[in-house]
Amino acid sequence: MAHRTVTPLTQALEEGKLTRDELKSLMQRSDGPAFRHLALWVVVLTGTTTLITLAGNSWLIWPAMMLHGIVLVHHFSLQHECVHYTVFRTRKLNNLVGQLCGLIIVLPHRFFRYEHCDHHTYTQLPGKDPELIPMPKTYGEYLFYLSSIPYWQAKFSELGRHAMGRLSEAEKHFVPREEHAAVFREARVMLAIYALIFAGMAITGWWGLIWYWVLPLFLGEPVMRFIRMTEHVGRPTVAQMSENTRTNLVSAPWRFLCWNMNYHAEHHYVPLVPYHTLPRLHEKLADHVHVEPRGYLGAHLDMLRQIREARA
Amino acid sequence: MTDKPWQDLIAVDELEKDWVTRVELGRRIIAVYDTTTGLYASLALCTHGGADLCDGYFDEHVIECPLHQGAFDVRDGKPIAAPATRPMRVLDVRVRDGQVQVRI
Repeated sequence: MAHRTVTPLTQALEEGKLTRDELKSLMQRSDGPAFRHLALWVVVLTGTTTLITLAGNSWLIWPAMMLHGIVLVHHFSLQHECVHYTVFRTRKLNNLVGQLCGLIIVLPHRFFRYEHCDHHTYTQLPGKDPELIPMPKTYGEYLFYLSSIPYWQAKFSELGRHAMGRLSEAEKHFVPREEHAAVFREARVMLAIYALIFAGMAITGWWGLIWYWVLPLFLGEPVMRFIRMTEHVGRPTVAQMSENTRTNLVSAPWRFLCWNMNYHAEHHYVPLVPYHTLPRLHEKLADHVHVEPRGYLGAHLDMLRQIREARA
Repeated sequence: MTDKPWQDLIAVDELEKDWVTRVELGRRIIAVYDTTTGLYASLALCTHGGADLCDGYFDEHVIECPLHQGAFDVRDGKPIAAPATRPMRVLDVRVRDGQVQVRI
């Protein structure tokens, strides 16, 4: 018999923070909101792509690529929702879109699903949460993380390791044995697709994807690191969901880009709730989770304050 | 054929329509699924992470775990979505005199 894990959701139901009827209503899936969101997403991507084209050979190409990159790295948010099967009604469509997003941001979807499972089980517990970003001890560590250098180092070594048919000891904890081969295959397929894309560019002599995809991705990633830090960094490293996760109140454009994942504590309470009903869940749970009313910037001010106080 | 006895679980009227209902039977938690093709039952804990499937998302014949979204077909317990890889244990179920009964 399986060992019982008491989820934050089960706790919330037992404590009366949510009723089963409310939960059922919040969990209902539908393709409509996602298709509307995606339509606007394509318009935004078309706009930022056009800016790069218009910038041409001028220095303006760099801010244009930065802007485009900020949108590109937010494919992580969409992929993350797809991992939870909550963007679209069917698992098939969630998997397909998740895999496409993974290709754009170099994050193998299947592997991410397993890694993310342990993040939800052991949120913010050192040594157990595979996605834990340690609280920086110095301003230098803080800036180094934001540079995305450690992130890319980890991601590229992860991809290479899997393509060579190996998992780290930590990864063996969350990837079931029967899925090892699938994870290795996924990494190899991903690398093969990238190789084909680059070979295609070399053969045709059209290197546009460097300007429309590769450089913007690297330019935009620090912004994603900035946002990802606001979810848990600086919160206590304890199991209590009400303490270890931060919900950030941000403006509509940011909510659009991150698919409402700023309601992060609510998401951790009930990962089954689709992104488009998270604001309603926030209304129910706002008094039971940690909310940063100053948004992403406020979360970083909190982290910087903690670094300053620890050094004093 | 099993010779295990049928045990009363819950009145049919108390089941959540087209959804999953949580019932305690001794120390066990049983999930009862009301579907368009009849009633099904299983042990309630997910075989992947041990979460209570009764708090999960139920659609047609698929129950999805509230913790990691692994999913199972309630008709045969087969895992149909990662990260679930091991089947869940399904139980024989029948209705007698307005009571849902299971054999466990």
